Amino acid sequence: MKHSFLDQYSEGNSLIHRLDPRTKLITTLCFILVVVLTPVSQWQAFALYFVLVATLIIISRVPVLYVLKRSLVIIPFVVMIAIFIPFFKEGEVAGSYNIWLWQLTVTHSGIQVLLNILAKAWLSILSLILLTAATRFSQLLRGMEQLRLPRVMVMIMSFMYRYIFVLVDEVMRMKQARDSRNLGGGRLRQIRTVGNMVGTLFIRSYERGERVYAAMMARGFDGQTRTLGNPVFGQRDFFFAMTLGLILVLAIVLNLWYL
Amino acid sequence: MHIPDGFLNAATVATTCAVSAGGIGGAVRIVGKKLGEKQVPLMGILAAFIFAAQMLNFPVAGGTSGHVIGAALAAILLGPWAAVLIMSCVLIAQSLIFQDGGLLALGANIFNMGIVASFSAYYIYKLVTWLAGANRRGTLIGGFVAAWFSVFLASIFCAIELALSGSSPFGVVLPAMAGVHALIGIGEGLITGAVLGLVLATRADLLQLQRT
Repeated sequence: MKHSFLDQYSEGNSLIHRLDPRTKLITTLCFILVVVLTPVSQWQAFALYFVLVATLIIISRVPVLYVLKRSLVIIPFVVMIAIFIPFFKEGEVAGSYNIWLWQLTVTHSGIQVLLNILAKAWLSILSLILLTAATRFSQLLRGMEQLRLPRVMVMIMSFMYRYIFVLVDEVMRMKQARDSRNLGGGRLRQIRTVGNMVGTLFIRSYERGERVYAAMMARGFDGQTRTLGNPVFGQRDFFFAMTLGLILVLAIVLNLWYL
Repeated sequence: MHIPDGFLNAATVATTCAVSAGGIGGAVRIVGKKLGEKQVPLMGILAAFIFAAQMLNFPVAGGTSGHVIGAALAAILLGPWAAVLIMSCVLIAQSLIFQDGGLLALGANIFNMGIVASFSAYYIYKLVTWLAGANRRGTLIGGFVAAWFSVFLASIFCAIELALSGSSPFGVVLPAMAGVHALIGIGEGLITGAVLGLVLATRADLLQLQRT
């Protein structure tokens, strides 16, 4: 299997890795909340958040280059949604262009809002990458279960995680088979081929699901899952959460102060 | 259509999270009653299937490509509540593992691509198969129309959320999102139709699933 890249650094042994997954989930959520609610003009605050995330990434010993690369993969999708913003905010005009039929004007405040949203999205993405890079997915699921996510969902997700790799392998084989047969023709034909691939994948997945369920029944599955060792919320978690919480509260206070 | 963090304001985040949490709660209760926990392995593998199917891109127009959302397919084959549950799991995992869609925006994303897409697809499919007859042709047309509407309506809700948050003006984001997704919806519709055709030809019993 070639896809163990999903959480390849989650077996580390840094302070961040050893924290209770609940601590990490909640602090990440609080961090993103504070970042998103920061007013547009507070550049110092964004610098502070960046330093905070960067410090945590360095402490976690997850390679910085890996985090950067992962975050840059997402940014194009963010830009795609954000691209309209600078053209339609009212304010001082920064530039005006004639493109084909449209008269486009870019305003300073529009650009500011755009950069601001990009910064927020990027900081949130960095913190999420740190969360998943420094936590095994099974641990994350355990944390979510302890935080009262419905059990059915936790179980669905743990099965899903187990079989993603199998199915992605399957998709890659199908893609290779398609490409090596020189798929051509019009768009409709190509879509039909993809449709048949998805259909085949669906039936194979479904039948695999039936087999897995039958195998589990044969081994005495009764709808319960049993696991060893729950993570414990210890002193380490307490101090980590307090420190991060204080920094975030400080950031909020400073934001209000300068407003 | 995955909204990242930073685009939605506090009110939109709070509202969509509350609605989605309620929807998931309902789905957990109803699916638990109807299917039972014994169906969990199957739903987990189907969630992985949707995850994998989203990797298959198809050409849309002018060099861009789209991929299926899969909500319509899940809703038609397993019923709307199970589809909501599966899509929520897929979206949570996508947000956490691939950072595709934000954590705070998860409420909005689950609402658009889970709840809106699943329910619209399910009821439109019901309506069309009722009008066109429950035969092969009716199933294929129903699948196409339902999938197209699921994508289109999800994109409209996405645009409304972005506009309400002040990220983009309504007059721009709505036609842009709806226009692009009207095209992507055709691909989703054709693929959903093709999948249903294949399922009908090989495992027709699966389509009876949610009727029993």
